[in-house]
Amino acid sequence: MSTGFFLRISGLLPNPLRERLSVRKSDVWMQDLSWEQGEQIFVQAASGTGKTTLMHSLYGLRNDFVGQIFWQATETKTMSAEAWSRLRQQELSLVFQDLRLFPELSAFENLEAKRVLANYISTNELKEWMDLLGISDRADKLGGTLSYGEQQRLAIIRSLLQPFKFLLLDEPFSHLDSGNIRKAAALIAAQVQRNGATLILADLDDNEYFPYTQKLSL
Amino acid sequence: MSKIPAAPLLYKLLLETASRRRLWVSLVAMCCGMVLLFSAVLIWWNFNQLLHGTAATDDLGSTFLTVSKRVTNENMGHPDATIFSESELNDLRNAPQVQDLGIVQALQPRAYMSMQLAPGAGFSTIMVLESVPERFMDKKPSDWHWQIGNPTLPIILSSSFLSLYNYAFAPSQGLPQLSEETIKALPFQLEIGTGSQMQQYTARVVGFSDRITSLLVPESFVQYANGASSGAVHPSRVILKIDDPSSTQFAQYLADHNYVTNAEQLRWSKFRTIVESVTLVIGLLALMLLGISLLVFTLFIELTIARSRSSVQRLVEIGYSPKMLQAYLFRQFLPLLAAVVMLALLLGFGLQVLTHVYGKTLGLHFGLLPGWPLWFCALCLMGLLVIQLKMATRIKV
Repeated sequence: MSTGFFLRISGLLPNPLRERLSVRKSDVWMQDLSWEQGEQIFVQAASGTGKTTLMHSLYGLRNDFVGQIFWQATETKTMSAEAWSRLRQQELSLVFQDLRLFPELSAFENLEAKRVLANYISTNELKEWMDLLGISDRADKLGGTLSYGEQQRLAIIRSLLQPFKFLLLDEPFSHLDSGNIRKAAALIAAQVQRNGATLILADLDDNEYFPYTQKLSL
Repeated sequence: MSKIPAAPLLYKLLLETASRRRLWVSLVAMCCGMVLLFSAVLIWWNFNQLLHGTAATDDLGSTFLTVSKRVTNENMGHPDATIFSESELNDLRNAPQVQDLGIVQALQPRAYMSMQLAPGAGFSTIMVLESVPERFMDKKPSDWHWQIGNPTLPIILSSSFLSLYNYAFAPSQGLPQLSEETIKALPFQLEIGTGSQMQQYTARVVGFSDRITSLLVPESFVQYANGASSGAVHPSRVILKIDDPSSTQFAQYLADHNYVTNAEQLRWSKFRTIVESVTLVIGLLALMLLGISLLVFTLFIELTIARSRSSVQRLVEIGYSPKMLQAYLFRQFLPLLAAVVMLALLLGFGLQVLTHVYGKTLGLHFGLLPGWPLWFCALCLMGLLVIQLKMATRIKV
């Protein structure tokens, strides 16, 4: 399925990992890879192999790498902060490994801060999702007072509150029990399908959360 | 302007923890600085209005000067030496600051005036009558006209002559002092010319002038009487409308040509120096205060942004653009700055109204509304504040 939107990486090697990666073979680092809309990619990464570095590089949070990343035909290193904002509002979403919620906003406000940006999902739908993942009763609690599991569910919902063509998941279920993982994965799968999007999930261990079209080892 | 989403949430994240005290201190100082600056502008503007007064509002009479050639020991015996030639008049018209020139025409035939104050008490004297073009007169009464054949002649008397009579002449001669109203009611007998040419008129004082130290009659009368006595008129006195009587250039021109004027009028150049020094000092103080307050305000915003650094970072990570955040902060602070400028303008406005009211009690006509320099100054300040705010709210990622 090709809709024209693609992500390509070429000869990518993060500076901090240079020495370690030069002696070890990787399916991703220093390779030429291209992913089109609709694929579901799993990147298996042992600790210290640069999983979060890869996600943050793809998401434009760091530029300390050699090689190139292309969103469409644009090389990411040449993109302005404004261009990245547009991309993060309309095309690209990420569930951070460290969640990155606002501790001073309530659970609901944390989601609302993201939802109003694109106004793509209605408040009602947002509340349904909170209900679905069992955090409705935490809506008024401050982000800083929630448990990791609750924060992770919020972070997952937050990443789905925008239109996206690529969804990046960095250890998205690390704090969840199997029941909640199932519910969260179902919600993610439904939204990925609704957006016709590509999913890239990076995790420590092999898993079958999604029907992956490609598995890579970092 | 596009709507900024989640404004209440942005307020919570970026501004809620900011220390308000610094903000208010800087805004109050800014307002004080502006009021000071506006005061300096208003003092300067009002002083200039006073000096550059038009005929209608020339309260100080300062912009009209009568000029003549200096009588010296050398030219004493030659009456022609104090007469302005046509080329000298043209040169004067083009002199610095001169806007208009009018010739003070003297009545050539002898004028003999007599007045009966009471039976057996009165006085008579030979008079000099003059006329100036009407546009140079400060007070033009409604009955200020004369036509050939009219036996009644209106006269405008210099106020200083009346003072001289009331306070010096009348008491020493045992004559009654006269109020302006009484003088206006008393007819004079006026004999113009001598012998067979002599004509009799009834003269009546219709007004008093502070501007021209003379006895004035309508120009038409002087032209008629001089024509009848034949002989071309050579002016020895001219009246000038001056743009700025405090100009040192003009004073220099008079000195270079050995012309004299009612020298008192030139004292404005000294006042100007004082007013300019005062406004300069107030203006500099105001600018200093404004500069410091603006610095504190800028630091407040930068500190606020620095304090919410992690929130800013996180907002950008979830898709907020730096420009959007800048626009949000800009719109939060702009109304405050606009309110400060408005308040300072309002106070400046009040100052001008006070000046207007107080000036009235002194017989000085200051404008009720401040002039364009104040608006211009406020506009410049607003522009400066907008630019400064734009720079201070810039978000660097």
